[in-house]
Amino acid sequence: MNPADFPFIPAWPPAVTPLAWVALLLLLAIVAGEATRRWLRVSRVIGYLLVGAALGPHAAGVLDTNTVLTLRVFMDIAVGLLLFELGQRVDLGWLRRNPWLLVTSVFEAMLTMIAVYAVMRLLGVAVVTAAAAGVLAMATSPAVVVTLVKDLRAQGQVTERVMLFTALNTTYAVIGLAVIFGWFHAENARSPIMIVTHPMYLIIGSLLLAGLLAAGMILLLRLFGRSPAFQFAITVSIVLLTVAAASSLGVLLPLTLLLLGMLARLFDRERHFVSLRFGQSAMLFVVLLFALAGTSLEFRGWSNALPMALGFIAARYIGKLVPLLLLAKVSSLTPRKASLVQLGLTPMSGLALLMLSDLSEQAPALVQEIAASMYLAITILAFAGPIALQFALRRAGETAEDAK
Amino acid sequence: MSDIMQFGPSKALTFGIELELQILNRRDCDLARGADDLLRVIAAGKSTSDIKPEITESMIEVATGIHERYADALAELRAIRETVVTAADRLNLLIAGGGAHPFQHWSERKIFDQPRFKQISALYGYLAKQFTIFGQHVHIGCADGDSAMYLLHAMGRYIPHFIALAGSSPYQQGVDTAYDSSRLNSVYAFPLSGRAPVVERWADFVAFFEKMKAAKVVESMKDFYWDIRPKPEYGTIEVRVFDTPLTVERAAVLAAYVQALARRLLIDRPVTVDDDLYLTYTYNRFQACRFGLDGLMIDPHSHEHVPIHEDIEATCRMLAVDAMELQSTEALNQVALWARERISDARWMRERYAETESLADLMWKQSQYWRAGS
Repeated sequence: MNPADFPFIPAWPPAVTPLAWVALLLLLAIVAGEATRRWLRVSRVIGYLLVGAALGPHAAGVLDTNTVLTLRVFMDIAVGLLLFELGQRVDLGWLRRNPWLLVTSVFEAMLTMIAVYAVMRLLGVAVVTAAAAGVLAMATSPAVVVTLVKDLRAQGQVTERVMLFTALNTTYAVIGLAVIFGWFHAENARSPIMIVTHPMYLIIGSLLLAGLLAAGMILLLRLFGRSPAFQFAITVSIVLLTVAAASSLGVLLPLTLLLLGMLARLFDRERHFVSLRFGQSAMLFVVLLFALAGTSLEFRGWSNALPMALGFIAARYIGKLVPLLLLAKVSSLTPRKASLVQLGLTPMSGLALLMLSDLSEQAPALVQEIAASMYLAITILAFAGPIALQFALRRAGETAEDAK
Repeated sequence: MSDIMQFGPSKALTFGIELELQILNRRDCDLARGADDLLRVIAAGKSTSDIKPEITESMIEVATGIHERYADALAELRAIRETVVTAADRLNLLIAGGGAHPFQHWSERKIFDQPRFKQISALYGYLAKQFTIFGQHVHIGCADGDSAMYLLHAMGRYIPHFIALAGSSPYQQGVDTAYDSSRLNSVYAFPLSGRAPVVERWADFVAFFEKMKAAKVVESMKDFYWDIRPKPEYGTIEVRVFDTPLTVERAAVLAAYVQALARRLLIDRPVTVDDDLYLTYTYNRFQACRFGLDGLMIDPHSHEHVPIHEDIEATCRMLAVDAMELQSTEALNQVALWARERISDARWMRERYAETESLADLMWKQSQYWRAGS
């Protein structure tokens, strides 16, 4: 037989297109997610991460770095939807009605930063780099929090507070990172103007972009009424537009999205959002997000990186625990529930990886000394975090299962 | 006779009010699980009023002390409202009146962790969770068990008034049920709902209860879900057909109306307690649930058909002296106005819903109405 007679049969093996990667990754991740939930009784998120990690460049290498980069747009969409939803669920008015929550949040983020900074300095890390590690430690993974809360259909004080503190500490961390960029410029003796203008551009640019799009979103909702399907479509399109605009303008994507959610809710005087159903539609993107985040997780070089990674995790734990316990009573929560809230703030995941890679891009030399330990710490918390959060919400009796 | 059935006499015509309230989240105004946190915050404050858990985690029950005057009961209800709303603010929760939540899914409700509630849930299954409905109970003090039984049956004729004046549950499970009080339909699904047996003397009632208990149908008076039931340990009869009104002000007016009516019935003794009394009872009750103030009621003796609002207006004229004596003329005038103008909470809810056609938005407005009052 002459292959020339069968020109319609493609060469073997057939080319694997990005779409095929998406489909395969999705299938495997969904199966693994179901398996971890059923047999290990832990969150599906763990299964998604494991699939990504197993196929990723650091392990089997089926998915190389280039392929991951071509799939980056799916990650951005997922991050966009999740961060917007978190922002939109956060009620800034609550901080006015219970000001101790703001105090708790600021104290929690600050002490985390200081504790991690101190540990890093003790381990001989440079000042700016130690501060950068401290800033990274502040943030709780918004993706894990939103995904688990929806997955478990959790509701109650612990759930609400974990979401509030996550939105706020992520905001602080992203702003903190912008300031660190300025500091890097100072260390590298760049022009003094840039030291100030770079962070200013990032922060004010994000705020303006978010404000503009939030106002546009509310205007559209007002014009076109309250049909849930329409509301959902409008919201998703504007979130995608925000993702695109934030990347094009080079402002802070996570900050812009969180602010978009929070400002949209704040501007929503006629309460269009009370009837918004965000539902499970973003689920597929979320699965991909975690699977792709899994590909960046680092499993090698553990022994050298381990002491610093453990120091980081311990300092972060204490930094979050002390303020929450101290301020439990004044913010109207029992110490037991406050400690569950603290446990719920454990997750670190995609956002931390993103911030770390931003840092490496801006100042490769400075981040070098902590990079391995940071990747390891994030890897540990990416797995421990969802387990801790699920445990906390269950113990608080706030998941849908508890209603049965 | 067992001790729990000893009728502990109380001062006649004193009254107390219990209200079951909805706890909502601020995001989409669905019912929230927050009773235990809310009760803890309230307990840490300095309120002396009685605030308790109810069957699911999405409701609490508040109760006034014993009052003789409408104005005092209103003042206490307003203080309770202040306490509850302040605590809810700290937890980012909303409080609302209304007899039912318009779009909650009963399967999502969580039974409050207390043995009695768990037992009810085990016995009645989904009915217990569907029982996430919110009522107002008005207790009227009676000097002795015999006058309590007389008052209970004499009041029966006025049950449609109470239902129509308080109806505030037009929406359930996401739809307009067409009823002003759909909540009562949920109550009537229970096997021990309905009305008390036609006996006029307390001793006869105790005999009835002992028989039901011996047959193991009930364990205590709490197992009867009657429209009006005697509460021997308080020395009261308890009127239970009211939906929780949208404001505490309306709740106080309704209680004052029952009090004035009780005074007139105990003085005039116009009713003969016999089976005929209940001839048209369930029909009238249905009319009140379905059509509210526009419903028709049929007099069991004259067989005359009268719109409920007209009957209320006539009753208000009859009670003028009683209201004056009880210093509740203001409340009685309010009732007459509501009847004349057909002002009801169910109507308020339907009008607010029409503005945005969003039940979530309606619940938001209901919570703001509860907070602002009147």
